[in-house]
Amino acid sequence: MSTSEEISALLVTRFGTDPDAIRPEVPLRQLRLDSLALEELRLLIEDRMDIDLEDVVLSSRDTVGRLVAAVSSKAGA
Amino acid sequence: MSGRGPSTRTLTPPGIEPFDAAVTGIGLVTAAGVGARAAWDGVCDATAAPSVLHRKELAGLPCDFMYTITGLDTDAALGVAALRLMDRFSQLAVIAAREAVADAGLDPAVWDSGRVAVVIGSAHGGLPFYDAQHAALTERGARRVSPKLAPLTVVNGAASSVAMDLGVHGPSQAVSTACSSGTVAIGTAHQMLRAGACDIVVAGGAESVCSRLLIASACQMRAVSTRRDDPQAACRPFDTHRDGFVVGEGAGLLVMERPEHARARGATVRARVTGYGASSDAHSAVAPDPDGLGIERALRTALADAGVDGAEVGHVNAHGTSTVANDLIEATMLRRVLGEQPLVTSTKAMTGHTLGAAGGIEAALTVLALQHQLVPPTVNLDAPDPGIPVEVVTKEARRSTFDHAVKTSLGFGGHNAALVLSRA
Repeated sequence: MSTSEEISALLVTRFGTDPDAIRPEVPLRQLRLDSLALEELRLLIEDRMDIDLEDVVLSSRDTVGRLVAAVSSKAGA
Repeated sequence: MSGRGPSTRTLTPPGIEPFDAAVTGIGLVTAAGVGARAAWDGVCDATAAPSVLHRKELAGLPCDFMYTITGLDTDAALGVAALRLMDRFSQLAVIAAREAVADAGLDPAVWDSGRVAVVIGSAHGGLPFYDAQHAALTERGARRVSPKLAPLTVVNGAASSVAMDLGVHGPSQAVSTACSSGTVAIGTAHQMLRAGACDIVVAGGAESVCSRLLIASACQMRAVSTRRDDPQAACRPFDTHRDGFVVGEGAGLLVMERPEHARARGATVRARVTGYGASSDAHSAVAPDPDGLGIERALRTALADAGVDGAEVGHVNAHGTSTVANDLIEATMLRRVLGEQPLVTSTKAMTGHTLGAAGGIEAALTVLALQHQLVPPTVNLDAPDPGIPVEVVTKEARRSTFDHAVKTSLGFGGHNAALVLSRA
Protein backbone atom coordinates (compact mmCIF):
# COMPACT_ATOMS: atom_id res chain seq x y z
CA MET A 1 0.00 0.00 0.00
CA SER A 2 1.41 3.42 -0.93
CA THR A 3 1.85 6.25 1.58
CA SER A 4 -1.11 8.03 0.03
CA GLU A 5 -3.24 4.93 0.39
CA GLU A 6 -2.16 4.39 3.99
CA ILE A 7 -3.13 7.94 4.91
CA SER A 8 -6.42 7.74 3.05
CA ALA A 9 -7.29 4.50 4.83
CA LEU A 10 -6.65 6.10 8.21
CA LEU A 11 -8.71 9.15 7.36
CA VAL A 12 -11.65 7.06 6.26
CA THR A 13 -11.61 4.47 9.05
CA ARG A 14 -10.54 6.62 12.00
CA PHE A 15 -11.93 10.04 11.14
CA GLY A 16 -14.95 9.18 9.02
CA THR A 17 -13.66 11.21 6.10
CA ASP A 18 -15.44 10.87 2.77
CA PRO A 19 -12.94 9.03 0.51
CA ASP A 20 -13.96 11.10 -2.50
CA ALA A 21 -12.98 14.29 -0.65
CA ILE A 22 -9.38 13.14 -0.15
CA ARG A 23 -7.53 14.81 -3.03
CA PRO A 24 -3.98 16.22 -3.12
CA GLU A 25 -5.02 19.84 -3.47
CA VAL A 26 -7.56 19.78 -0.60
CA PRO A 27 -6.55 21.61 2.61
CA LEU A 28 -6.67 19.39 5.67
CA ARG A 29 -9.06 21.77 7.44
CA GLN A 30 -11.55 21.14 4.65
CA LEU A 31 -11.54 17.52 5.77
CA ARG A 32 -12.39 18.78 9.29
CA LEU A 33 -8.91 18.00 10.57
CA ASP A 34 -8.28 20.55 13.32
CA SER A 35 -5.06 20.82 15.34
CA LEU A 36 -6.11 18.03 17.71
CA ALA A 37 -7.04 15.74 14.84
CA LEU A 38 -3.71 16.40 13.14
CA GLU A 39 -1.79 15.37 16.24
CA GLU A 40 -3.95 12.27 16.53
CA LEU A 41 -3.31 11.49 12.87
CA ARG A 42 0.43 11.96 13.38
CA LEU A 43 0.38 9.27 16.09
CA LEU A 44 -1.70 6.89 13.98
CA ILE A 45 0.59 7.25 10.96
CA GLU A 46 3.66 6.68 13.13
CA ASP A 47 2.18 3.50 14.58
CA ARG A 48 0.91 2.20 11.25
CA MET A 49 4.06 2.93 9.25
CA ASP A 50 6.61 2.60 12.04
CA ILE A 51 8.16 6.01 11.37
CA ASP A 52 8.91 9.12 13.42
CA LEU A 53 7.11 12.32 12.43
CA GLU A 54 8.11 14.30 15.52
CA ASP A 55 9.90 17.04 13.57
CA VAL A 56 7.34 17.29 10.79
CA VAL A 57 5.53 20.61 11.01
CA LEU A 58 1.94 20.49 9.80
CA SER A 59 -1.08 22.74 10.08
CA SER A 60 -4.69 22.49 9.03
CA ARG A 61 -3.88 24.89 6.20
CA ASP A 62 -1.58 22.34 4.59
CA THR A 63 -2.97 20.16 1.84
CA VAL A 64 -3.34 16.41 1.61
CA GLY A 65 -0.53 16.45 -0.95
CA ARG A 66 1.82 18.26 1.45
CA LEU A 67 1.00 15.72 4.18
CA VAL A 68 1.65 12.78 1.86
CA ALA A 69 4.95 14.31 0.73
CA ALA A 70 6.09 14.91 4.31
CA VAL A 71 5.26 11.39 5.36
CA SER A 72 6.83 9.93 2.24
CA SER A 73 10.08 11.74 2.93
CA LYS A 74 10.22 10.12 6.38
CA ALA A 75 9.09 6.73 5.13
CA GLY A 76 11.88 6.69 2.63
CA ALA A 77 14.52 7.95 5.05
CA MET B 1 -22.71 17.35 67.28
CA SER B 2 -24.96 20.38 67.10
CA GLY B 3 -26.39 21.50 63.79
CA ARG B 4 -25.98 18.09 62.15
CA GLY B 5 -29.63 17.27 61.74
CA PRO B 6 -32.45 19.02 59.95
CA SER B 7 -33.57 22.03 61.86
CA THR B 8 -37.18 22.77 62.64
CA ARG B 9 -36.90 26.06 60.80
CA THR B 10 -38.43 26.47 57.42
CA LEU B 11 -36.20 24.69 54.94
CA THR B 12 -37.16 26.90 52.02
CA PRO B 13 -36.50 30.60 52.66
CA PRO B 14 -39.43 33.00 52.51
CA GLY B 15 -39.93 34.64 49.15
CA ILE B 16 -39.03 31.57 47.11
CA GLU B 17 -42.03 30.73 44.98
CA PRO B 18 -42.84 27.09 44.19
CA PHE B 19 -41.73 26.01 40.74
CA ASP B 20 -42.75 23.01 38.70
CA ALA B 21 -40.50 21.97 35.83
CA ALA B 22 -42.29 20.06 33.09
CA VAL B 23 -40.68 16.78 32.11
CA THR B 24 -41.44 16.39 28.43
CA GLY B 25 -38.87 13.86 27.30
CA ILE B 26 -36.89 10.88 28.53
CA GLY B 27 -33.80 9.11 27.21
CA LEU B 28 -32.48 5.91 28.75
CA VAL B 29 -29.52 3.73 27.85
CA THR B 30 -29.11 1.03 30.49
CA ALA B 31 -28.13 -2.58 31.01
CA ALA B 32 -31.84 -3.25 31.60
CA GLY B 33 -32.65 -1.99 28.10
CA VAL B 34 -31.68 0.58 25.49
CA GLY B 35 -34.37 3.20 25.00
CA ALA B 36 -36.92 4.34 27.55
CA ARG B 37 -39.50 1.72 26.65
CA ALA B 38 -37.03 -1.18 26.74
CA ALA B 39 -35.44 0.04 29.98
CA TRP B 40 -38.85 0.40 31.64
CA ASP B 41 -39.93 -3.05 30.48
CA GLY B 42 -36.60 -4.39 31.68
CA VAL B 43 -36.82 -3.05 35.20
CA CYS B 44 -40.46 -4.10 35.54
CA ASP B 45 -39.86 -7.68 34.42
CA ALA B 46 -38.83 -9.57 37.54
CA THR B 47 -38.26 -12.71 35.48
CA ALA B 48 -35.65 -11.09 33.22
CA ALA B 49 -32.03 -11.95 33.91
CA PRO B 50 -29.95 -8.91 34.82
CA SER B 51 -27.34 -8.14 32.17
CA VAL B 52 -24.28 -8.76 34.35
CA LEU B 53 -21.18 -9.96 32.54
CA HIS B 54 -17.74 -11.07 33.58
CA ARG B 55 -15.40 -8.57 31.94
CA LYS B 56 -11.96 -9.42 30.63
CA GLU B 57 -10.73 -5.98 31.71
CA LEU B 58 -11.45 -7.00 35.31
CA ALA B 59 -10.10 -10.55 35.15
CA GLY B 60 -8.53 -11.73 38.38
CA LEU B 61 -10.14 -9.08 40.61
CA PRO B 62 -12.39 -10.14 43.49
CA CYS B 63 -15.18 -8.37 41.60
CA ASP B 64 -14.70 -9.13 37.90
CA PHE B 65 -18.25 -8.42 36.72
CA MET B 66 -20.43 -5.43 35.98
CA TYR B 67 -23.81 -4.56 34.53
CA THR B 68 -23.15 -4.16 30.83
CA ILE B 69 -25.21 -2.72 27.99
CA THR B 70 -25.53 -5.22 25.19
CA GLY B 71 -26.92 -4.84 21.70
CA LEU B 72 -25.91 -1.18 21.32
CA ASP B 73 -23.99 -0.38 18.14
CA THR B 74 -22.35 2.94 18.99
CA ASP B 75 -20.53 3.02 15.64
CA ALA B 76 -23.81 2.90 13.77
CA ALA B 77 -25.55 5.28 16.16
CA LEU B 78 -22.92 8.00 16.23
CA GLY B 79 -20.50 7.49 13.33
CA VAL B 80 -16.71 7.32 13.37
CA ALA B 81 -16.13 11.07 13.19
CA ALA B 82 -18.09 11.74 16.36
CA LEU B 83 -16.99 8.61 18.21
CA ARG B 84 -13.32 9.53 18.12
CA LEU B 85 -13.97 12.51 20.36
CA MET B 86 -15.98 10.72 23.03
CA ASP B 87 -15.24 8.14 25.66
CA ARG B 88 -18.08 5.71 26.26
CA PHE B 89 -19.86 7.74 28.97
CA SER B 90 -20.21 10.63 26.53
CA GLN B 91 -21.39 8.28 23.76
CA LEU B 92 -24.15 6.95 26.02
CA ALA B 93 -25.12 10.50 26.96
CA VAL B 94 -25.46 11.59 23.33
CA ILE B 95 -27.60 8.56 22.46
CA ALA B 96 -29.84 9.19 25.49
CA ALA B 97 -30.05 12.92 24.73
CA ARG B 98 -31.17 12.31 21.16
CA GLU B 99 -33.90 10.02 22.42
CA ALA B 100 -35.02 12.47 25.10
CA VAL B 101 -35.20 15.40 22.68
CA ALA B 102 -37.10 13.38 20.10
CA ASP B 103 -39.44 12.11 22.82
CA ALA B 104 -40.12 15.73 23.81
CA GLY B 105 -41.08 16.52 20.22
CA LEU B 106 -38.32 19.10 19.97
CA ASP B 107 -36.42 19.84 16.78
CA PRO B 108 -32.90 21.21 17.37
CA ALA B 109 -32.95 22.65 13.85
CA VAL B 110 -35.56 25.20 14.84
CA TRP B 111 -35.40 25.67 18.60
CA ASP B 112 -34.00 28.86 20.16
CA SER B 113 -30.64 27.22 20.87
CA GLY B 114 -29.43 30.00 23.18
CA ARG B 115 -32.30 29.21 25.55
CA VAL B 116 -31.43 25.52 25.77
CA ALA B 117 -29.08 24.19 28.45
CA VAL B 118 -27.35 20.91 29.25
CA VAL B 119 -26.53 19.68 32.76
CA ILE B 120 -25.09 16.18 33.00
CA GLY B 121 -23.66 14.48 36.05
CA SER B 122 -20.79 12.01 36.06
CA ALA B 123 -18.56 10.80 38.84
CA HIS B 124 -15.56 9.58 36.88
CA GLY B 125 -15.80 10.87 33.32
CA GLY B 126 -13.61 9.04 30.81
CA LEU B 127 -11.70 6.91 33.26
CA PRO B 128 -11.32 3.93 30.86
CA PHE B 129 -9.54 6.16 28.32
CA TYR B 130 -7.35 7.47 31.12
CA ASP B 131 -6.46 3.86 32.03
CA ALA B 132 -5.54 3.09 28.42
CA GLN B 133 -3.36 6.16 28.07
CA HIS B 134 -1.62 5.52 31.36
CA ALA B 135 -0.80 2.04 30.06
CA ALA B 136 0.53 3.57 26.82
CA LEU B 137 2.74 5.91 28.84
CA THR B 138 4.21 3.25 31.09
CA GLU B 139 4.53 0.53 28.46
CA ARG B 140 5.44 2.46 25.30
CA GLY B 141 6.59 5.90 26.41
CA ALA B 142 5.40 9.50 26.40
CA ARG B 143 5.25 9.82 22.61
CA ARG B 144 2.61 7.10 22.39
CA VAL B 145 0.13 8.96 24.61
CA SER B 146 -2.92 10.29 22.81
CA PRO B 147 -3.35 14.06 22.56
CA LYS B 148 -7.04 13.47 23.33
CA LEU B 149 -6.60 12.60 27.02
CA ALA B 150 -7.99 15.85 28.40
CA PRO B 151 -11.03 16.27 26.13
CA LEU B 152 -12.07 12.63 26.46
CA THR B 153 -11.60 12.19 30.18
CA VAL B 154 -12.93 15.43 31.65
CA VAL B 155 -16.17 14.98 33.56
CA ASN B 156 -17.83 17.65 31.41
CA GLY B 157 -17.20 15.55 28.28
CA ALA B 158 -20.76 14.25 28.27
CA ALA B 159 -22.28 17.72 28.58
CA SER B 160 -20.06 19.21 25.88
CA SER B 161 -20.64 16.26 23.55
CA VAL B 162 -24.41 16.59 23.93
CA ALA B 163 -24.23 20.35 23.41
CA MET B 164 -22.20 19.86 20.21
CA ASP B 165 -24.40 17.06 18.94
CA LEU B 166 -27.65 18.95 19.50
CA GLY B 167 -26.35 22.43 18.68
CA VAL B 168 -27.06 23.83 22.13
CA HIS B 169 -25.81 27.38 22.68
CA GLY B 170 -27.12 28.05 26.18
CA PRO B 171 -25.19 27.06 29.30
CA SER B 172 -23.80 23.53 29.44
CA GLN B 173 -22.07 22.09 32.44
CA ALA B 174 -21.17 19.00 34.40
CA VAL B 175 -22.13 18.20 37.93
CA SER B 176 -19.87 15.88 39.90
CA THR B 177 -20.98 14.82 43.36
CA ALA B 178 -20.04 11.14 43.11
CA CYS B 179 -23.10 8.87 43.11
CA SER B 180 -25.61 11.69 43.52
CA SER B 181 -24.35 13.52 40.42
CA GLY B 182 -27.35 12.69 38.23
CA THR B 183 -29.84 13.80 40.86
CA VAL B 184 -27.93 17.00 41.57
CA ALA B 185 -27.83 17.66 37.81
CA ILE B 186 -31.62 17.48 37.64
CA GLY B 187 -31.90 19.65 40.73
CA THR B 188 -29.53 22.17 39.19
CA ALA B 189 -31.62 22.14 36.02
CA HIS B 190 -34.72 22.80 38.14
CA GLN B 191 -33.01 25.81 39.67
CA MET B 192 -31.83 27.12 36.29
CA LEU B 193 -35.34 26.92 34.87
CA ARG B 194 -36.77 28.55 37.99
CA ALA B 195 -34.24 31.39 37.67
CA GLY B 196 -35.16 31.91 34.03
CA ALA B 197 -31.66 31.09 32.79
CA CYS B 198 -33.14 28.92 30.04
CA ASP B 199 -36.40 27.50 28.75
CA ILE B 200 -35.28 23.92 28.13
CA VAL B 201 -32.67 21.76 29.88
CA VAL B 202 -31.38 18.32 28.98
CA ALA B 203 -30.40 16.99 32.40
CA GLY B 204 -29.39 13.77 34.09
CA GLY B 205 -26.32 11.57 34.32
CA ALA B 206 -23.95 9.37 32.33
CA GLU B 207 -21.26 6.91 33.37
CA SER B 208 -19.26 4.02 31.98
CA VAL B 209 -16.29 2.93 34.03
CA CYS B 210 -15.12 -0.52 33.13
CA SER B 211 -11.81 0.49 34.66
CA ARG B 212 -9.49 -2.08 36.16
CA LEU B 213 -7.93 0.65 38.28
CA LEU B 214 -11.22 1.86 39.74
CA ILE B 215 -12.68 -1.57 40.41
CA ALA B 216 -9.43 -2.80 41.96
CA SER B 217 -9.65 0.11 44.39
CA ALA B 218 -13.35 -0.51 45.06
CA CYS B 219 -12.47 -4.11 45.91
CA GLN B 220 -9.80 -2.91 48.32
CA MET B 221 -12.40 -0.64 49.90
CA ARG B 222 -14.73 -3.68 50.21
CA ALA B 223 -17.51 -1.58 48.73
CA VAL B 224 -18.44 -3.92 45.86
CA SER B 225 -19.98 -7.36 45.88
CA THR B 226 -17.60 -10.26 45.42
CA ARG B 227 -20.27 -12.82 44.56
CA ARG B 228 -18.34 -14.02 41.51
CA ASP B 229 -20.05 -17.40 41.43
CA ASP B 230 -23.47 -15.82 40.92
CA PRO B 231 -22.99 -12.29 39.60
CA GLN B 232 -26.58 -11.85 38.44
CA ALA B 233 -27.71 -12.22 42.05
CA ALA B 234 -24.90 -10.09 43.47
CA CYS B 235 -26.79 -6.78 43.60
CA ARG B 236 -29.58 -7.42 46.12
CA PRO B 237 -30.76 -4.17 47.71
CA PHE B 238 -32.44 -4.48 51.12
CA ASP B 239 -31.68 -8.21 51.24
CA THR B 240 -30.23 -9.84 54.34
CA HIS B 241 -27.36 -11.27 52.30
CA ARG B 242 -26.33 -8.10 50.44
CA ASP B 243 -22.57 -7.63 50.33
CA GLY B 244 -21.92 -4.50 48.28
CA PHE B 245 -22.84 -2.75 45.08
CA VAL B 246 -22.23 -3.85 41.50
CA VAL B 247 -21.09 -1.22 39.03
CA GLY B 248 -23.17 -0.58 35.93
CA GLU B 249 -22.94 1.68 32.90
CA GLY B 250 -25.61 3.88 31.40
CA ALA B 251 -27.17 7.25 30.84
CA GLY B 252 -30.50 8.69 31.86
CA LEU B 253 -31.61 12.12 30.74
CA LEU B 254 -34.73 14.22 31.07
CA VAL B 255 -35.89 17.09 28.93
CA MET B 256 -37.19 19.65 31.41
CA GLU B 257 -38.92 22.87 30.46
CA ARG B 258 -40.38 25.94 32.03
CA PRO B 259 -44.08 25.07 32.27
CA GLU B 260 -45.27 27.97 30.10
CA HIS B 261 -42.77 26.98 27.41
CA ALA B 262 -44.09 23.43 27.35
CA ARG B 263 -47.67 24.69 27.33
CA ALA B 264 -47.07 27.16 24.52
CA ARG B 265 -45.79 24.50 22.18
CA GLY B 266 -48.47 21.99 23.20
CA ALA B 267 -45.97 19.47 24.54
CA THR B 268 -47.05 16.32 26.31
CA VAL B 269 -45.94 16.57 29.92
CA ARG B 270 -44.92 13.22 31.36
CA ALA B 271 -44.50 14.45 34.93
CA ARG B 272 -43.27 17.45 36.89
CA VAL B 273 -40.16 18.03 38.96
CA THR B 274 -41.72 19.86 41.89
CA GLY B 275 -39.02 19.88 44.53
CA TYR B 276 -35.29 19.57 45.03
CA GLY B 277 -33.10 19.45 48.09
CA ALA B 278 -29.41 18.83 48.67
CA SER B 279 -27.17 18.63 51.69
CA SER B 280 -23.72 17.63 52.89
CA ASP B 281 -23.02 15.14 55.66
CA ALA B 282 -19.72 16.77 56.66
CA HIS B 283 -18.98 13.36 58.12
CA SER B 284 -16.90 10.93 56.04
CA ALA B 285 -15.16 10.50 52.70
CA VAL B 286 -17.22 7.39 51.97
CA ALA B 287 -19.62 6.40 54.74
CA PRO B 288 -23.04 8.01 55.01
CA ASP B 289 -23.96 9.76 58.21
CA PRO B 290 -24.85 6.80 60.45
CA ASP B 291 -28.15 8.39 61.44
CA GLY B 292 -29.05 9.44 57.90
CA LEU B 293 -29.39 13.04 58.99
CA GLY B 294 -27.81 14.43 55.83
CA ILE B 295 -30.12 12.65 53.40
CA GLU B 296 -33.01 13.48 55.74
CA ARG B 297 -32.18 17.17 55.41
CA ALA B 298 -32.07 16.87 51.63
CA LEU B 299 -35.40 15.05 51.51
CA ARG B 300 -37.15 17.44 53.89
CA THR B 301 -35.85 20.37 51.85
CA ALA B 302 -37.17 18.80 48.64
CA LEU B 303 -40.57 18.16 50.23
CA ALA B 304 -40.74 21.74 51.52
CA ASP B 305 -39.72 23.02 48.09
CA ALA B 306 -42.53 21.01 46.51
CA GLY B 307 -45.06 21.85 49.20
CA VAL B 308 -45.70 18.14 49.59
CA ASP B 309 -46.19 16.40 52.91
CA GLY B 310 -44.28 13.18 53.50
CA ALA B 311 -47.55 11.32 53.93
CA GLU B 312 -48.53 12.24 50.35
CA VAL B 313 -45.55 10.41 48.82
CA GLY B 314 -46.64 7.10 47.32
CA HIS B 315 -43.41 5.82 45.83
CA VAL B 316 -39.67 6.11 46.39
CA ASN B 317 -37.01 5.06 43.91
CA ALA B 318 -34.33 4.67 46.54
CA HIS B 319 -30.59 4.94 46.26
CA GLY B 320 -30.64 1.31 47.48
CA THR B 321 -27.10 0.36 46.53
CA SER B 322 -27.02 -3.10 48.14
CA THR B 323 -24.36 -2.09 50.63
CA VAL B 324 -25.00 -3.03 54.24
CA ALA B 325 -24.77 0.54 55.51
CA ASN B 326 -26.60 2.49 52.81
CA ASP B 327 -29.73 0.39 52.61
CA LEU B 328 -30.35 0.34 56.36
CA ILE B 329 -29.60 4.02 56.92
CA GLU B 330 -31.60 5.15 53.92
CA ALA B 331 -34.63 2.96 54.65
CA THR B 332 -34.72 4.02 58.29
CA MET B 333 -34.62 7.65 57.20
CA LEU B 334 -37.39 7.11 54.65
CA ARG B 335 -39.67 5.62 57.30
CA ARG B 336 -38.90 8.49 59.67
CA VAL B 337 -39.66 11.21 57.12
CA LEU B 338 -42.35 9.69 54.92
CA GLY B 339 -44.09 7.16 57.13
CA GLU B 340 -45.08 3.65 56.16
CA GLN B 341 -47.18 4.22 53.02
CA PRO B 342 -44.67 4.68 50.17
CA LEU B 343 -43.80 1.71 48.02
CA VAL B 344 -40.03 1.64 47.87
CA THR B 345 -37.90 0.08 45.19
CA SER B 346 -34.30 -0.03 44.08
CA THR B 347 -33.97 -0.52 40.35
CA LYS B 348 -30.21 -0.96 40.72
CA ALA B 349 -30.68 -4.72 40.82
CA MET B 350 -31.55 -4.44 37.10
CA THR B 351 -29.35 -1.52 36.04
CA GLY B 352 -26.39 -1.89 38.40
CA HIS B 353 -25.03 1.04 40.33
CA THR B 354 -24.29 3.47 37.55
CA LEU B 355 -22.60 5.91 39.94
CA GLY B 356 -22.91 9.42 38.50
CA ALA B 357 -25.61 8.29 36.07
CA ALA B 358 -27.76 6.65 38.73
CA GLY B 359 -29.81 9.70 39.66
CA GLY B 360 -30.59 10.47 36.02
CA ILE B 361 -31.61 6.92 35.19
CA GLU B 362 -33.66 6.51 38.34
CA ALA B 363 -35.38 9.88 38.02
CA ALA B 364 -36.42 8.89 34.49
CA LEU B 365 -37.73 5.58 35.82
CA THR B 366 -39.61 7.48 38.53
CA VAL B 367 -41.26 9.63 35.87
CA LEU B 368 -42.37 6.44 34.12
CA ALA B 369 -43.62 4.99 37.42
CA LEU B 370 -45.77 8.10 37.91
CA GLN B 371 -47.10 7.85 34.38
CA HIS B 372 -47.86 4.14 34.55
CA GLN B 373 -48.86 4.17 38.24
CA LEU B 374 -46.67 1.13 38.55
CA VAL B 375 -43.76 0.47 40.90
CA PRO B 376 -40.94 -1.71 39.54
CA PRO B 377 -39.78 -4.60 41.71
CA THR B 378 -36.48 -4.86 43.55
CA VAL B 379 -35.19 -8.08 42.02
CA ASN B 380 -32.93 -10.44 43.95
CA LEU B 381 -34.68 -9.49 47.18
CA ASP B 382 -35.20 -13.05 48.38
CA ALA B 383 -34.64 -12.63 52.10
CA PRO B 384 -35.70 -9.13 53.18
CA ASP B 385 -33.53 -7.69 55.91
CA PRO B 386 -35.83 -7.58 58.98
CA GLY B 387 -34.18 -4.32 59.99
CA ILE B 388 -35.48 -2.51 56.89
CA PRO B 389 -38.57 -0.63 58.11
CA VAL B 390 -40.19 0.26 54.76
CA GLU B 391 -42.32 -1.65 52.30
CA VAL B 392 -40.05 -2.71 49.44
CA VAL B 393 -41.75 -4.00 46.30
CA THR B 394 -40.34 -7.35 45.32
CA LYS B 395 -41.09 -10.32 43.05
CA GLU B 396 -43.20 -8.33 40.59
CA ALA B 397 -44.14 -4.78 39.67
CA ARG B 398 -47.02 -3.46 41.75
CA ARG B 399 -49.87 -1.21 40.67
CA SER B 400 -50.67 1.67 42.94
CA THR B 401 -52.20 5.13 42.91
CA PHE B 402 -49.91 8.00 43.77
CA ASP B 403 -49.49 11.66 42.85
CA HIS B 404 -46.02 12.20 44.26
CA ALA B 405 -42.82 10.19 44.21
CA VAL B 406 -39.33 10.72 45.57
CA LYS B 407 -35.87 9.99 44.22
CA THR B 408 -33.04 9.93 46.76
CA SER B 409 -29.29 9.78 46.12
CA LEU B 410 -26.22 9.68 48.33
CA GLY B 411 -22.67 10.24 47.10
CA PHE B 412 -19.22 9.50 48.48
CA GLY B 413 -18.09 12.58 50.34
CA GLY B 414 -21.52 13.05 51.88
CA HIS B 415 -23.30 14.61 48.89
CA ASN B 416 -27.02 13.99 49.43
CA ALA B 417 -29.82 14.93 47.07
CA ALA B 418 -33.52 14.36 46.75
CA LEU B 419 -36.13 15.13 44.13
CA VAL B 420 -39.89 15.24 44.43
CA LEU B 421 -41.59 14.29 41.18
CA SER B 422 -45.31 14.65 40.68
CA ARG B 423 -47.94 13.54 38.19
CA ALA B 424 -48.50 15.84 35.26
